[in-house]
Amino acid sequence: MTCIQFPSKVQSKIQFLVVFVSLISILTGISLAAHADVLGDVKKKGTLVVGVKDSLPPFGYVDEKSRDIVGYDIDMAKAVAKKLGVKLELKPVTSANRFPMLSEGNVDLVIATTTKNPERAAQVDFSHAYFLTGQKFIVAKGKVKTLQDLDTARIGTAKGSTSEKNVATSLPKAKVLSYDDYPQAVLALQQGKVQAVTTDEAILAGLLAKMPNKDKYEIPDLKISDEPYGIAIKKGEKGLVDVVNSTLLEMESSGDADKVFAQWFGPNSAAPLKRTFKITAEK
Amino acid sequence: MEFINSIFGLDFSVIRDNWLFFLVGRYPNGPMGGVALTLTLAVGSVFFSGIGGLILGLLAVSQRRWVRWPVNIIIQTFRGVPLLMVIFWFYFFLPAVFGKGFPEISTVLIALTVFTSAYMSQIVKAGIEAIPRGQWEAGVSSGLSRRQVLWQIVLPQALRHMIPSFVNQFVSLIKDTSLAFIVGVSELTHVATQVNNRTLNYPTEIFLFIAVVYFVICSAFTALSRQLEARTTSANANR
Amino acid sequence: MLNYQFDWHLILNGEYRQWLLSGLWLTLKLATVSMILSFFLGLIIAVMKMSGQRFVRAGASVYLEVVRNTPLLVQIFFWYFGSFKLLPAAWNEWLNATNEFEFIAATMALTIYTSAFIAEDIRSGVRAIPKEQTEAGFSSGLSFLQVMRWIILPQAVRMTIPPLVNQFLNLAKNSSLAMTIGVAELTYQARQIESHTLKGFEAFTAATLIYLILSLVITGLMEIYNEKILKPRGAQA
Repeated sequence: MTCIQFPSKVQSKIQFLVVFVSLISILTGISLAAHADVLGDVKKKGTLVVGVKDSLPPFGYVDEKSRDIVGYDIDMAKAVAKKLGVKLELKPVTSANRFPMLSEGNVDLVIATTTKNPERAAQVDFSHAYFLTGQKFIVAKGKVKTLQDLDTARIGTAKGSTSEKNVATSLPKAKVLSYDDYPQAVLALQQGKVQAVTTDEAILAGLLAKMPNKDKYEIPDLKISDEPYGIAIKKGEKGLVDVVNSTLLEMESSGDADKVFAQWFGPNSAAPLKRTFKITAEK
Repeated sequence: MEFINSIFGLDFSVIRDNWLFFLVGRYPNGPMGGVALTLTLAVGSVFFSGIGGLILGLLAVSQRRWVRWPVNIIIQTFRGVPLLMVIFWFYFFLPAVFGKGFPEISTVLIALTVFTSAYMSQIVKAGIEAIPRGQWEAGVSSGLSRRQVLWQIVLPQALRHMIPSFVNQFVSLIKDTSLAFIVGVSELTHVATQVNNRTLNYPTEIFLFIAVVYFVICSAFTALSRQLEARTTSANANR
Repeated sequence: MLNYQFDWHLILNGEYRQWLLSGLWLTLKLATVSMILSFFLGLIIAVMKMSGQRFVRAGASVYLEVVRNTPLLVQIFFWYFGSFKLLPAAWNEWLNATNEFEFIAATMALTIYTSAFIAEDIRSGVRAIPKEQTEAGFSSGLSFLQVMRWIILPQAVRMTIPPLVNQFLNLAKNSSLAMTIGVAELTYQARQIESHTLKGFEAFTAATLIYLILSLVITGLMEIYNEKILKPRGAQA
């Protein structure tokens, strides 16, 4: 066996790699954050920090005139802050970074078109569903009649979304392109880079309404899944979950939930929808 | 402008309608953003990484092996991975260590500072190594300690030579702040994607516009760095 | 108590390991293709910058200034989303039909960005070559381009190899920005694993180690090349 003599710089690099690896293994041993009572902290500092979408009308977007974030999700956040009697601070999140932001305590709640599903429920806690929709597609008018028409298509969606996983399951041969958020996927659709954009119908309707040449596109009646939205809360914060849930139920019984829906999805809105759900207590 | 508009059918009114948003983000209703935040991030991290680079650079040329080695390992690690990865790391690591609510702006500021310090340290190291050994020997033989030679003779000269490279690093930093977009910090690039996402019809105009903004800021500092470089070299030539 | 459960098994096996490997492959492909293209583009710009024609020189200067003073990320967005309005409809159709426009746009942005730095590296290589050689070339009747092609560049490029290796490493790192337009390179895959499993530490550690090993291997090869091939020859001369 011949002995390879590494030059000194290589040797030092190998050594630093070894140190790096051992550093990581030390980290593995220690647990990383102390106990936190989010509800108590929120009350103490007098501010509720909520992660919301900032370019997804009508759920959350920056209003051109006021340069403020507004939308259906923001009204939900306002109701929770009001119930707690604290100030509301909005933080823009994307589909991909919302869970890390939540688990690391950068935000107290995530109200950002988040679908409740069992995999996620293992990592975070969810409120009762505050919105109900289903996953569909935006495509060029008249091009798509059945799901088979999209079999080998290029389909745009957002990183880290349930839409991304659902479409990969229902159309395994399609090429799924994940952007940082949905509007970029719509831009790609307009420029012919993808043939369809997929996500929840309520989001699609808002996006379609915003498209400059919207008469050329449509949302065909092809639903691939049901998507109930929940407010996401860090695992194990029962106090906060209870406050959020009671806020939602009170909104339903007082009629405020109806009003908020009507404001963003009513007949005079950019993307009218029917309210087919009621906020109810679930297990 | 009219000329460009007529050739490509571009419409720069989207810039006019949102110029304040590009400049300061949601301020004063919300946090500061846009160009103002880009500059804040760049100035803040160049200040801290100047200090960090100096410290790391001095440690990296230390006579003591047990100081020099770990420091060089840290420097090489940060130079070996993409800035985007470094930002993600701090994004996970800082809140885990310091607990709840560590703001993203500080996360990005720290990531940029640590990353740039590693590069700055190489400038410092090269600057110190460029000073002829004779000066060290002369200093020591005239009765000064190594530390005194370093602080009173070597560093003042070395730092003067480093100034242009520092300014160049500052230009890189201004460009690097655009990566803050990925963790949702509303600097210029993030603000631009927000407007792009909202309007959905003017990507060319918007990205062209912010490219021009970055260009104007960066080339001003590039010009400054060249001037400083010319001055240092002519000063040396005169001696 | 937030007890983060480390789960290395998840990342190092099956589907997720496959994601990381395919990400590495795409990172290498992006870096290699862009490296080759930006070398030739950089060579052209460097020659233009040294040309006797004022307008050619000015053109090269403008190119260098613009490319070096705008962020790579903005350039990537510009080529991917912004080029649409500037190109003829037929080109757009063709580009979209390739089904690889994400890769093409990223390669274009990386190539253009890196070419500006390579041009500067080549120029400093040229500066190190004695002026007499150029003059000798001219006096023996060669044109500017011939002098460059046959006398100056072959020597300059040899001297530029270490900075070029450095540029390749920069490219491998910079290619991580392609994730923003949906190119599934290494950082994209790490992020993807993170969002699927919420195991950020493991995913990013794995990707970081891959980047470090990559730079270790390449600088290692470079060092061996320097010590075994360049130095002995230098000693003889």
